[in-house]
Amino acid sequence: MKKRLGASVAAAALALLGFTAPSSIAATTDDSTCGNTGVICVGVVTDIGHVTDKSFNQAAWEGAQAGAKAVGGIANYIESNAATDTEYANNMELFAAKHYSVIVTVGYLEANATITEAAKYPDIKFIGVDQFLDTTKTTPNLAGLNWHEDQAGFIAGYLSGYLTKTGKTGEVVGMNIPPVYRYAVGFANGVAYAGKEQKKKFPATKIIYHPAGDNAFSDPAFGASNSAQLLSQGYDVIFAAGGGTGNGGLARIAKSKGKYCIGVDVDQWNTVPEAQACLVTSAEKLIAPGVADLIGKFKAGTFAGGNVFGKVGIAPYHAFASKIPAAVQAKVTAITKKVLSGSLSTGVK
Amino acid sequence: MLNTIKSFNFKSWKFLLSVATVALWIYCYSANMDITNSVVASGMRFGMPLALASMVGIMCERSGVINIGIEGTMLLSGFTGFYVASYSKNIVIGLVIAILTGVLTSFVHAMMTIKWGMDQIIAGTIINILASGLTSFLYREGSTVPNTWPIFDIPVLSKIPLLGASLFSQLGPIQLFGMFLIPAIWVMMNKTRWGLRTRSVGENPGAADTAGINVIRMRMTNVMIGGAIGGLVGGFICLELVGSFSKDFTAGTGFTALALMIFGRWNPLGAFAAAILFGLAQALATQLQIFGVNNVPNQFITILPYVFTILVLAFSAGKVRPPAAAGKPYEKEQS
Repeated sequence: MKKRLGASVAAAALALLGFTAPSSIAATTDDSTCGNTGVICVGVVTDIGHVTDKSFNQAAWEGAQAGAKAVGGIANYIESNAATDTEYANNMELFAAKHYSVIVTVGYLEANATITEAAKYPDIKFIGVDQFLDTTKTTPNLAGLNWHEDQAGFIAGYLSGYLTKTGKTGEVVGMNIPPVYRYAVGFANGVAYAGKEQKKKFPATKIIYHPAGDNAFSDPAFGASNSAQLLSQGYDVIFAAGGGTGNGGLARIAKSKGKYCIGVDVDQWNTVPEAQACLVTSAEKLIAPGVADLIGKFKAGTFAGGNVFGKVGIAPYHAFASKIPAAVQAKVTAITKKVLSGSLSTGVK
Repeated sequence: MLNTIKSFNFKSWKFLLSVATVALWIYCYSANMDITNSVVASGMRFGMPLALASMVGIMCERSGVINIGIEGTMLLSGFTGFYVASYSKNIVIGLVIAILTGVLTSFVHAMMTIKWGMDQIIAGTIINILASGLTSFLYREGSTVPNTWPIFDIPVLSKIPLLGASLFSQLGPIQLFGMFLIPAIWVMMNKTRWGLRTRSVGENPGAADTAGINVIRMRMTNVMIGGAIGGLVGGFICLELVGSFSKDFTAGTGFTALALMIFGRWNPLGAFAAAILFGLAQALATQLQIFGVNNVPNQFITILPYVFTILVLAFSAGKVRPPAAAGKPYEKEQS
């Protein structure tokens, strides 16, 4: 009897866990005309999370809205309730059933589902945000929107080279995988470039990678503790890049006075408000313009599948705008142009 | 105390290891004071959450209840602690709520395993899954706490030569509390009547019951004290060490803590030492990356703490014995 009671509690707990409300298209805009000739409908399937997450989902949704507006179309979104291929696929099919013309999926977690659905609906264009594609396995109606992380890292590193007082800069980053490596080495090269420009010999930027494992990007204690170790040895500008691991670093650096930290991917001023005391800027992937641009290409009939690279940059300085000398800001703007145009190499292959 | 000293085996590997560690420390300290202090302090920061989390395991298992739900307990507590602190704009209330959440979570575990005799591994797993699912689902980015538990140099203690700058500088009140809590748990477990009773219900609940100890109540209490410590760790990470909540922030701490508990032979001081050792290995791996040891791929450096743990575990294996009644629900024999 007692055991049965225990088992029922367990069953109830698991049932509760499995229960999530079915996802549906947010009724922001009337989409009954989708499928008619000349009507462009853009559907965004968020990763688990909301379109107000101040991060990837929000940026992709803003890009979809801007892009749809520019071509006189309609944009809607579905917020995914679970991080499973089935959930993502179901949500994409909700849009497909309503004859949407472009489906935007957000984040690498959706990559598998996006590839499958794109093959299933060849008439619909798919945009996989932050999904690097193996183009031998994908259909031409799918474009993976990516960024040159090394460029964003380089620009942020260049700024850091002008901010550091001790000349010692460090990085606490996630697992050593290609995008993280590009950010990290790009940053280090940016610092070195700024050093050379100022005729100063900086010690090499110290990169601390997470030992990986399935928690490489969700280990804030690792980020915090390693940042503290760097701070205590005089490193005064630290690039903390790597999901929760990096965010832990940012929050910790903010507790030390007079140190600078730099965020990653999106403007982390909003996503990690704890870090505002030290957050000068973030090495940013410009997601919204990238998405909007691809929608524009769809309208123009120049949409091509495969890997597409969007622009990068650094986020606004916010409260630090008044603290960074105008001359330095001007230099950063100039170097950004050079890096983006490709006339200045980041030194990362 | 005297008996402890007399019975101490000065040839034991533990003693030799301690001497070697202290010697190495003094050597490093004289070679480069600042870096040594920085690395030791970092080791403490890495080790403390693990050490406290392994206390949860010890409290539960010494009384005969296996708790693999430490991870979930910490996750839920960190979550409630952080968001309550964020909404109430008060970190003290946040910490209290974190601890209460820990107690409540372990109460659920205790009811399932002790009262209803459910499988303890399954009960712990439920808590872990539930915690991870709930906190991810309810998580909203962009919330922040008004301030976090401050970090400072502890007056007087931070001035102790050799130890002060590394152990008592730039840390917060919860970490400091932890440094005193763990020895206190050892004393309670080994030197008090309550500790004796706890150990007896964990080793032989039948005999303890015959002697008039209320096995069920003893186990319930211990599991819930463990839960309170679990809540404290959640609060420690989210409100002091890091100062923010992120999804699945526990990152396996609860499971590593269980391994350290076994390594420390279910002894609070042993587990503490094991956790600090693990933390130091972690800090050392970081330091090697700072030194720019770049003729070895960084993956080899970052796995050092784990290799180290496996080696030590391998050498100390075969001598560990868990509390005899751990994992077995106790049901009073009906006459």
